[in-house]
Amino acid sequence: MANDVVLQLERISKQFPGVKALDDVNFDLRRGEVHMLVGENGAGKSTLIKILAGAHRQDTGRIVLNGQPADIHNPAQALGLGVSVIYQEFNLVPFISVAQNIFLGREPRHPKIPGLIDHARMNAESQALLESLSVDIDPRSMVHYLGVAQQQMVEVAKALSVNARIVVMDEPTSALTTREIEQLFAAIKRLTARGVSVIYISHRLEEVFQIGDRVTVLRDGKWITTMNVQDATMDVIIQAMVGRTIDRMFPRDFAIEKGEVALTVRNLHRHGVLQDINVTVRCGEIVGLAGLVGAGRTELARVIFGADPYDAGEVTIFGRTVRGSPAGCVAIGVGFLPEDRKREGLALILPLRENVVVASLRRLFPWGIIKRAKEHSVVTDFVKSLDIVTPSINRMTKFLSGGTQQKVVLAKWLCTQSRFLIFDEPTRGIDVGTKAEIHHLMNEMVKQGAAILMISSELPEVLNMSDRIYVMHKGRITKELSREEATPEAILRHAMGVTT
Amino acid sequence: MSETVWRVWARRAALAPGAVYALIVLSLVFGVFTAQFLTLHNLTNVGMQGSVLIIVSLGMTLIILTEGIDLSLGPVLGLAGVVLALCVKQQMGLPLAILLAILAGAAFGALNGVLITRLGLPPFVVTLGSFGMAQGLALVLTQGSSIAGLGPAVQYFYDGRILGIQVPIVMTAITFLVVYIILYHTKFGTYVFAIGGNQEALSLAGVRTRLYKTGVYVLGGILASVAALVMTARMNGAHPTVGVGLEFDAIVSVILGGTSFERGRGWLGGTIIGALAVSVLRNGLNLIGLSTSWQVTAVGMVIILAIVVDGLRGI
Repeated sequence: MANDVVLQLERISKQFPGVKALDDVNFDLRRGEVHMLVGENGAGKSTLIKILAGAHRQDTGRIVLNGQPADIHNPAQALGLGVSVIYQEFNLVPFISVAQNIFLGREPRHPKIPGLIDHARMNAESQALLESLSVDIDPRSMVHYLGVAQQQMVEVAKALSVNARIVVMDEPTSALTTREIEQLFAAIKRLTARGVSVIYISHRLEEVFQIGDRVTVLRDGKWITTMNVQDATMDVIIQAMVGRTIDRMFPRDFAIEKGEVALTVRNLHRHGVLQDINVTVRCGEIVGLAGLVGAGRTELARVIFGADPYDAGEVTIFGRTVRGSPAGCVAIGVGFLPEDRKREGLALILPLRENVVVASLRRLFPWGIIKRAKEHSVVTDFVKSLDIVTPSINRMTKFLSGGTQQKVVLAKWLCTQSRFLIFDEPTRGIDVGTKAEIHHLMNEMVKQGAAILMISSELPEVLNMSDRIYVMHKGRITKELSREEATPEAILRHAMGVTT
Repeated sequence: MSETVWRVWARRAALAPGAVYALIVLSLVFGVFTAQFLTLHNLTNVGMQGSVLIIVSLGMTLIILTEGIDLSLGPVLGLAGVVLALCVKQQMGLPLAILLAILAGAAFGALNGVLITRLGLPPFVVTLGSFGMAQGLALVLTQGSSIAGLGPAVQYFYDGRILGIQVPIVMTAITFLVVYIILYHTKFGTYVFAIGGNQEALSLAGVRTRLYKTGVYVLGGILASVAALVMTARMNGAHPTVGVGLEFDAIVSVILGGTSFERGRGWLGGTIIGALAVSVLRNGLNLIGLSTSWQVTAVGMVIILAIVVDGLRGI
């Protein structure tokens, strides 16, 4: 492989409000190599790619393309410079042909009839392009009718049709089956053989060894290391990814006595989503549910809460079987704090006051008539006890900060006197101070006898808040770890389905 | 090659059989229950009466493909008819009168498009507003009454024949051909599918999506004006509220024809079939002797039935 460098990112820094997304990051790409970019969520991979693609501007640092400093302002400019990005979500139009997608925005003119586009030429050139990738797709077929892998190939063809010399792939295999991944890898190998360079972002570490030439690890916006893949091992990469100092923002008391069993899930199966799930949560403990995005954690939580159906198995909550009914779950004391709290946890245009009492109206006002004075005192108590920062209990929920909104959701479930709570990413997008407060509240809740099932993608949170941890991978629980067994390496290993 | 062409057609058709079935079933029912339905004279009548609806529905198809809607097309058609009639009455000459009528439709389309794309307002609300404006303007211009007696030059667009074929049918065919070419053989058409299917992808490709989206509404307005010409010729006059309700039939035709409100899914041929089904339904109910009010009810029922059936078939 030739060693000439086609791209250098030099000392790139990028500040977002409240976060240093990238801090003095260096990165270089050689001609014809596959350079893997790995790191935990929030490590800065996406930001780095977006800067290269012209979707963001760096604050400091420079981009050098083929030895020339390049100033990239927008995606069109990046394309013009031969940099093509295949984003995670597909950028295809479903109900036009493959060829029309490949040439979208650059349709060739009909040679004879002005105003028309030249379908024949688009089809022929697309055909040639697809053949050069050794994929068998009819350029005239509608994209909608293609499988995910074929659509991925169309994306690759589209990226190449602009004569790209650098192709960035952001987790291209997340939706593909093993066989389809092989196809994609074969296509990547043909690209690099032609001298195209590939930056490949992945959460699946095994891919580093399958397709990568070099690997760069980012962590907390900083460059950690760049290695030749031959010299790297899985353990070295994992260590580089998680090696942060985990600070004491996790006030947890692990000496709490365990009480009755709150949740039992036995042999739960939901076709294509969950397989053979067994979970127990007792009062007085926080049980962590770890895994990568898409491992099936939220799906499991939704089934437990009755929001989704299941095909086989048994879910028992406080000794009762509740099936397919969130309302039934709430009635027996279950609360669910969803990941997307703005859409699923709150009515944003209602005042804080109504969001707190909305799930408890029957308990508070059994006669169906809302008494403002009682409502006021109930809500005010929660505002005090949870330290909710708001000018008034009548404040529209939309205008509260993310952390405060999460506290409002928490207040809602405390108001229903929930004794079993499911937290889905309890502190995602929440500032550090409020994060610690929410952790403190969770600790207080289990102290008072509640049970908590916590989904979290943040390793420090899972490790420091959980009494026990279940790790999920592809819809299965691959491991149950005690507090003593739980290490970042162990969790990552099982989350990625590495069994050795 | 030809096999692929057939496959493409088959796939387009696969999106739409709801309308095909509706058309066949309705024709059979009316053929059995009335003696007049399956006569050449009556079927020609269906085609001629349906031409107004088909032309409006073609524009509506493109608008709905962009995940939009235009509720104002009915009143805009009424307004264009009024403009046409007034200009003819002012002795302006028919070509100029037609041009001004088309401009009126295009202007409302442009207004809709600009408000939708520049202010980011939902098409439903914007076109509901222009529904009222077009309606009101037509009433103001006519002081609420009909304009009658425009003369044979105008009537030619309903009664005349080209190569032995009725002018409205010829006009409908030409309009379909033009819109077909625009939709399937120009950039504009590609971008119509793309705006509905994945607007983000289109703007990432460097295309000025707002311009093209506005263009779709302008085209819709122009086609409503073309339909107004046929309508005015048929009545030999104009009435300010004649178009109201046509937008309803047009939306029904588009949906019946298999075009979806989401993701730019649909095909133009289906709309013709859908509009014909609606026209056959109205014609047949007429022959049976059902009042107009019941016809509207029946059309409403058919559309709900069509959607339920399509839902059951998983389309």
